[in-house]
Amino acid sequence: MENIKVSVDLNKCVGSQLCIMFSPTVFERDGNGQSKIVNRNGANLAEMLSTAEQCPQCAIKVENTQTGEVLFPPPELAF
Amino acid sequence: METISLNDDLMAPNVISDPHGYYRTLREAEPIHWNARWGGWVLTGYNEVVEVLRDSLNFSSDRMGFLAQELTQEEQESIAPIFKILSYWMVFRDPPEHTALRMLLNKHFTPIAIERYRPMVRKIVQKTLDKVLSKGKIDFVKDFAYEVPMTVILELIGAPDLDTEKIKEWSEKLGVFFFIKADEPRRREIACEGINALVDYITPLIEQKRERPGIDLISLLLSAEEAGSITANDVLATCVLLVFGGHETTMNLIANGTMAFINHPDQWDKFQKNPDLLKKAVEELLRYDGSVKSTVRWAKEDTQVGNTLIKKGDRILVSLSGANRDPQQFTDPDGLNIERNPNLHVAFAHGIHVCLGASLARMEVEEAFAGLISRIQCPELVEGAQLEYYPSVVHRAIKELPVYIKPLIK
Ligand code: HEM
Ligand code: HEM
Ligand code: SF4
Repeated sequence: MENIKVSVDLNKCVGSQLCIMFSPTVFERDGNGQSKIVNRNGANLAEMLSTAEQCPQCAIKVENTQTGEVLFPPPELAF
Repeated sequence: METISLNDDLMAPNVISDPHGYYRTLREAEPIHWNARWGGWVLTGYNEVVEVLRDSLNFSSDRMGFLAQELTQEEQESIAPIFKILSYWMVFRDPPEHTALRMLLNKHFTPIAIERYRPMVRKIVQKTLDKVLSKGKIDFVKDFAYEVPMTVILELIGAPDLDTEKIKEWSEKLGVFFFIKADEPRRREIACEGINALVDYITPLIEQKRERPGIDLISLLLSAEEAGSITANDVLATCVLLVFGGHETTMNLIANGTMAFINHPDQWDKFQKNPDLLKKAVEELLRYDGSVKSTVRWAKEDTQVGNTLIKKGDRILVSLSGANRDPQQFTDPDGLNIERNPNLHVAFAHGIHVCLGASLARMEVEEAFAGLISRIQCPELVEGAQLEYYPSVVHRAIKELPVYIKPLIK
């Protein structure tokens, strides 16, 4: 996915593995039981956004690198 | 050995009234402590707690299965109705059964999905505030904290008319099954009565939804049953879990949070002047005095945690409150700081069982405190009030919180 950046905030991730359940091609467990991105092209944008929504911590951020727009999470959800 | 001087009575009155002090002593001596009296490990260090919670391969949540192994045939039969429900609760199951149920329900409990209930919660909060302001002196638990969560969960399952008093009574009976009242000789019978009553009450509702589906969670579970991804038992057990689990814990957090502010009026003042701190403040209330103090796991394999070898078959009390006050993770852990950031607490646990209702609970508690700080002064304890907590290892629950409520004069 060109222009799309996905990242996991390790200060938020609680290791629920929900992102791995919903998009196993993109996410994996790291050594601490948190999430890490193994293939940022493993899903299309629609799937990526719907997986990011599943995160109970809003730890997954999806951005458009070209416009700088944050596609998820919306500002009112960030904590 | 140091171990001998540690008090292993998890239900001792001083442990119930001040769990944080007790867990601090334990953590400082041995963050992984063998409690001979309970016959299991007690984990109070953040790293140890997080390691176990995030490792569902080695640490099982199937507490009903393990319990069954410890009971005689006769004992097992005496609690069959409880087993039939509780062993289907996702909180007590391991993958892969856990995964199917969790993925199904999670979509309806995401931070974004929960937003649509916010206006409803805001209204309930305002109505409840009108009521308590007209009284002036209230029991904060019963008169304020209880109202919001119960109403919301019934709305969610599509049954706003259920009798909340009855559900509360039966839930409490079911609660007796765990070791809350180990000295109650009829505890198994009482718990069976509770669960049978809940099941009898909920079953017709499920049947009604089967005939006339709505947009509620019961209808959703039923459509998953029809599609073959879950069983009829899963549907029933999950309904009971949502009704049982969906209110008490949230109510307790609202009460514990208020108590925290009563003890830290400077933080209340700061909050009132900076309502934007709402989300951070709620996270801090969860960390500071969360309503679920601990959970339990069983080792499926010999596993090293820190320097300690936990043996296959050992049980572990995972102290969430202990981890939440670990100075290695949180600076000034015994202080309340509503601006704390980052704040990766474990109040909703970590790992695959992390609370399904977390976003719902957060939103409800946010709305409760947003309402409180916009309309009242910091509540004041009624003079001479003796605060008592329910004798529970798991739940941090104040029995009554008598306070004066005064309107904010702007
Ligand atoms: C402040 C309020 C709450 C707290 C502190 C809390 C805490 C917890 C904790 C610590 C767990 C993990 C238990 C374990 O790992 O053994 C959990 C799981 C769970 N909670 Fe909550 N909870 C709260 C509110 C709610 C609400 C409102 C609901 C209902 C909708 C709910 C439903 C559940 C369910 C279904 C699970 C099991 C999840 C799974 O196994 O995947 N909780 N909760
Ligand atoms: C989110 C909702 C809830 C969660 C996640 C939760 C979680 C737990 C867990 C993990 C245990 C330990 C059981 C074991 O492993 O042996 C437990 C015990 C217990 N729960 Fe809950 N619970 C919830 C709601 C409730 C409610 C609503 C009640 C109240 C009436 C209740 C009453 C009890 C009691 C009495 C025990 C026995 C242990 C003790 O309190 O000392 N729970 N709960
Ligand atoms: S869904 Fe969120 S909290 Fe869960 S593992 Fe993925 S990033 Fe972490």
